Amino acid sequence: MMRIATPGLRATIQDRGRFGHARAGIPPAGPADPVAFAAALDLAGCAPDDAAIEIIGLPFTFRCDDRRVVAATGRDVRLRTRGPVPGWTSVLARPGEEVIVEGSSRTRFAYVAVSGGPALPRVLGSRATYLAAALGPMPRPLAAGDELPLGPSDAGVEAAGRHIRPPEYGGVARAIAGPHDARFADESVARFFSVTFTVLPESDRMGLRLAGAPLPGPTDDLLTCGIVAGAVQVPRGGAPIVLLADHQTTGGYPIIATVIRDDLGIVAQAAAGEYLRFDRVTPGGPYRSA
Amino acid sequence: MSVRPFGDRAFLIELEQRIDLPIIDTARSIADEWERRGLGDTIPAYASVVLEFDPARTSWKDAAVVAEALAAEPPGATAAAAGRLIEIPTIYDGPDLAETAARSGLAVPELVALHSGREYRAFFLGFMPGLAYCGMLDPQIDAPRLAAPRARVPAGTVAVANGQTIVYPVDSPGGWRLIGRTELKTFDPAREPAALIRAGDRLRFVSR
Repeated sequence: MMRIATPGLRATIQDRGRFGHARAGIPPAGPADPVAFAAALDLAGCAPDDAAIEIIGLPFTFRCDDRRVVAATGRDVRLRTRGPVPGWTSVLARPGEEVIVEGSSRTRFAYVAVSGGPALPRVLGSRATYLAAALGPMPRPLAAGDELPLGPSDAGVEAAGRHIRPPEYGGVARAIAGPHDARFADESVARFFSVTFTVLPESDRMGLRLAGAPLPGPTDDLLTCGIVAGAVQVPRGGAPIVLLADHQTTGGYPIIATVIRDDLGIVAQAAAGEYLRFDRVTPGGPYRSA
Repeated sequence: MSVRPFGDRAFLIELEQRIDLPIIDTARSIADEWERRGLGDTIPAYASVVLEFDPARTSWKDAAVVAEALAAEPPGATAAAAGRLIEIPTIYDGPDLAETAARSGLAVPELVALHSGREYRAFFLGFMPGLAYCGMLDPQIDAPRLAAPRARVPAGTVAVANGQTIVYPVDSPGGWRLIGRTELKTFDPAREPAALIRAGDRLRFVSR
C-alpha cells in the first residue's frame, strides 16, 4: 500500500495515455511531460504501460508499507528520504519511511513512480485520469489519507542509485510547421519561428497559453478538424495555445505548427512569465535543432 | 485535397472545406482503412482526417506513402457504414427553446415538430467524450451559437446551433442553444463502448 500524506495542489494517477478512443471524443490524458513520466517509470523498474503520479504544486509526501524503489522526475524535482536524493535518480524507500517530493518555483509537473505501480483497474484501456469527464480508476485529485494498492515488487538494493539525465528545460521547443501553415501569411509563419513568446499564467494540462507578437491568421472560418498534442492553435487575436495532454480531440482554430513529442515536456514545464521560442525542424527527422 | 504533416507522428488529410455527407463518409473510410492496417489512431471530422502513427513501428516515410495513397484513392464508404438508428427520447423544455423558436418565426410546438420530425446523421465525435455532431437541422430553425457560452451545461441536454444538433454527454461549458433534455446517457465510461452514438449512426429525437 502507498499512503498519501501531503497531496500537493493537484496530484493525479496517470499512465502513458488513453489511446484508441479519440474517435469517441475522448482525450488521451496521460502525462503533460511524457519524457519525465517515462523516465520515472524506468527508474522505478516499472513497465512502460504502468501508472505513476503526476503532481502539480509540491511538496508531495507519502509512505509505502513495504520496501519499494522510488523515483521522482520533472523540472527541478528532487526527493528527500533519510537524506536528500537528486531528481531523476532511483532510491530505495524503506517500509514506512516518509518520502518527500520537492521542487522549485519553476516546477510545474512532477512525477513520482513506485516499483510495482498503483494496482488500479484500467478504465477504457487506461489508468490515466481525465478530470473534466471524471475518467479513470481514480477520477479525482489524490487527497491526504488516500491509500493506493501497489503491484508486486522485488525491489532490491541493486535497483537504487540509477540516474537518467533530465532534458534541458526552458527556452526552446522543436516544432514542425503546419498542418495549417499555408493558411497563414508567410510572415506569420516566419515570425512564429523567430520571436520569443511569454508564458501566461492561465496555462494548464489542456494547453500552454502564450503572449507575444500577433500572428494574423486566415480570415475565413476553418472547419473543425482532429487535433494531436503539441498542436499550436492560433485563435483570432493571434495569441497561440500549445495543446497538451488533456486537449480536446477536435478544434476549429488554425494550427500554425506542431511541437514534436520529445519536446512536449519543455512546453508543459515552461512556467508563467518565462520565455519560449520554437525551433523549426523538418518533417521526417532527424529532429536536430538548427 | 492535401496531406500535411501534423507534428512528428501524424498526418492531416484535408478533403474539402464544406459539410457534405459523401465527404464525411470518405473521411471516415480513410480512417477505417488506416486503423484496419493497424497503423494507429485516427480522428475523422467533417472533411478531414487525422492519421496517427508510432515512429518506433512505422517510419515517417512509410506512413506518408500510405497517407498519400489513401488520400488519392479513398477506399469509399462500405455497406457497414450505414449506421444504426438511435432514438433519443426528449423532453423539450430547454431554456433557449422559446427564444430560438421566436427568432425562427415559429411557435414552440412547430420548432419541436421540426426538430423531432427528421432523421439526423452522426457526422463525427469530438470536442468532449461521446459528443456526436449531428445534422442537418431543418433550415427554418435559426440557431446561431450563443454570444456568451454558458459555464455549465448538464449532461443529457439537447442543443442546436448552426444547422446541427447535439446531446451534451457530460457536464461542461457550452455555447449551443439548449432546447431540451434526455435521460439517455450518451457517455458512460462503465459501458463498452462508452459512447452511445457512433459516427454514421442515424438519430431521431422523440418528443416525450
